[in-house]
Amino acid sequence: MKSTRNKPYTYALILPGILLYVAFFLVPSLFGGVLSFANVDRFSFSAIRFAGWTNFINVLTDDYLSAAIRNSFIFAFSTTLLKVGIGMALAVFLNRKLRTKNYLRTVAFLPAVLSTVAVGVFFTSALHPTTGMINRFLYAVGLDALAQDWLTNPHLAIYSLVGIETWKWSGFTMAILLAGLQSISHDYYECADIEGASGWQKFRSITFPLVLPYFNNALIVNLIGGLKVFDLVQAVTQGGPGSATEVFGTLVFKSFGSGRFGEGAAASILLSLIVIAITLPTWKLISRKEVEL
Amino acid sequence: MSRQRSRWAAESAGILASLLVVLPLFFVVVNSFKDKAGAAAMSLALPKKWYFLDNYSEMIDAGGVLTGLKNSAIVTFITVAALVILSSMTAFTLQRKNTRMSGLLYLLVLLGLMIPLQIIPAYFVTYYLHVQTYLAAIVMLVVTNFSFGTFLYTGFFKSIPREIDESAIMDGVGPYGLFFSIIFPLLRPVTVTLIIIAFMGVWNDFGITIYFLNSPRNFTVTLTIFNFLGTYSSDWNLIFANVVLVSAPVVLVYLLLQRHIIDGMTAGSVKG
Repeated sequence: MKSTRNKPYTYALILPGILLYVAFFLVPSLFGGVLSFANVDRFSFSAIRFAGWTNFINVLTDDYLSAAIRNSFIFAFSTTLLKVGIGMALAVFLNRKLRTKNYLRTVAFLPAVLSTVAVGVFFTSALHPTTGMINRFLYAVGLDALAQDWLTNPHLAIYSLVGIETWKWSGFTMAILLAGLQSISHDYYECADIEGASGWQKFRSITFPLVLPYFNNALIVNLIGGLKVFDLVQAVTQGGPGSATEVFGTLVFKSFGSGRFGEGAAASILLSLIVIAITLPTWKLISRKEVEL
Repeated sequence: MSRQRSRWAAESAGILASLLVVLPLFFVVVNSFKDKAGAAAMSLALPKKWYFLDNYSEMIDAGGVLTGLKNSAIVTFITVAALVILSSMTAFTLQRKNTRMSGLLYLLVLLGLMIPLQIIPAYFVTYYLHVQTYLAAIVMLVVTNFSFGTFLYTGFFKSIPREIDESAIMDGVGPYGLFFSIIFPLLRPVTVTLIIIAFMGVWNDFGITIYFLNSPRNFTVTLTIFNFLGTYSSDWNLIFANVVLVSAPVVLVYLLLQRHIIDGMTAGSVKG
């Protein structure tokens, strides 16, 4: 029975896609494992020399490189916290009956479709210490003390990037959570109203548990996105001042530019391992859901 | 009465908050129409004199923008077309075949949703195979979006009954005819979503194109922003004109097809 059912379907159709995917995505992933243990300065197999753990040791101990790891974590965790927090507030707010609802949803999601480089250019101008919109606004309303060297102060620069990332992706996070809120049947709330539940009780016992799966997804998507960040940092600070905003992505780009391919590969592999460790718990859920057809 | 008032408060709070997004966009557009000194003042004021054509024609002449537009068009078109064909074919076969092999292959494809691209080894492989510049960028953009495309189509195939396949086969249609002339046209809603999402992703791409299209001659229009920041660092009017040009197609598509875009972009994280 099974063989006749499978007859009209041919593996020939998957061949082009799978071959490309294997050759240019999976093979590089495995090959990255080899390169991360190698000393290699040009793109030739004959140039590969075994280097043991040196690349990993360098990545983890060199000040410059370990700054990148620390910054990636700061960036990933703070942006996730902010994006999910603000996204949740926006979702709850826009789940109400408002006349401006459609306009507000459109606007909230809009930054997500803009090119990161374009967004980066705008904020480079807006965060300029003297001519930038943000400091000038602060001076204008008399909050001079809050005006900062947003992108040139090494202690602050990474948080300025966190702010830009939050601006760009909070609306996207809102859309994920809003889909969750809209999946909740109104009956639950009606029952709760009959029982005389307060707003907070309804949120705690109905809204939150039912939105939780969406909430978890939003957390994971944002954590991974934060760890993988490259274009925003490259567009705004290129990892500077010094190594103050260096992250995995810019580190790999720099090792690529300076021909230290082994170190770049090791940084990539480390990033992948961290991402896999975060996603693996949810991975099982996704694959189970999608494979049983 | 108080209900009415709280509603007005909510509406105004919403509109006020929306300024956080609207003002920056307004700022960029308005300053792209000022002269050099006016744009350098970085204000939200309307231009004293509007430089519509001057700024945009100067910007287009200056930073290799026409070449960039052409490159973006080529890279985006080929990538999106290849992505639609390759991922729909793959999803169809893997969803319809019910074997251990197809299940394993599907898992392998889904891995791409999780693992970040190893860019340096990928560069190594393309270099070794003499796949360079545009072709390399296209291939890498296809493979990094392939998992998402296949995932999106697979979800949709579940809603297309097998009876359609079976009756087509009874009528003597072969496996290729079945897919291309019977199934593929049914996929239109997802195909539209994938085209839009992939168009935006590829048009905006920076993380892959910067590695493979690394000289001004083969920059996409998104990468030309860097040219402007470097060479015309004090001509903010031209820089902003360039930003408007890069963003306009994406924003227009978004405003026209918003529903598709929000659903498509959140698909991976909502269904999971």
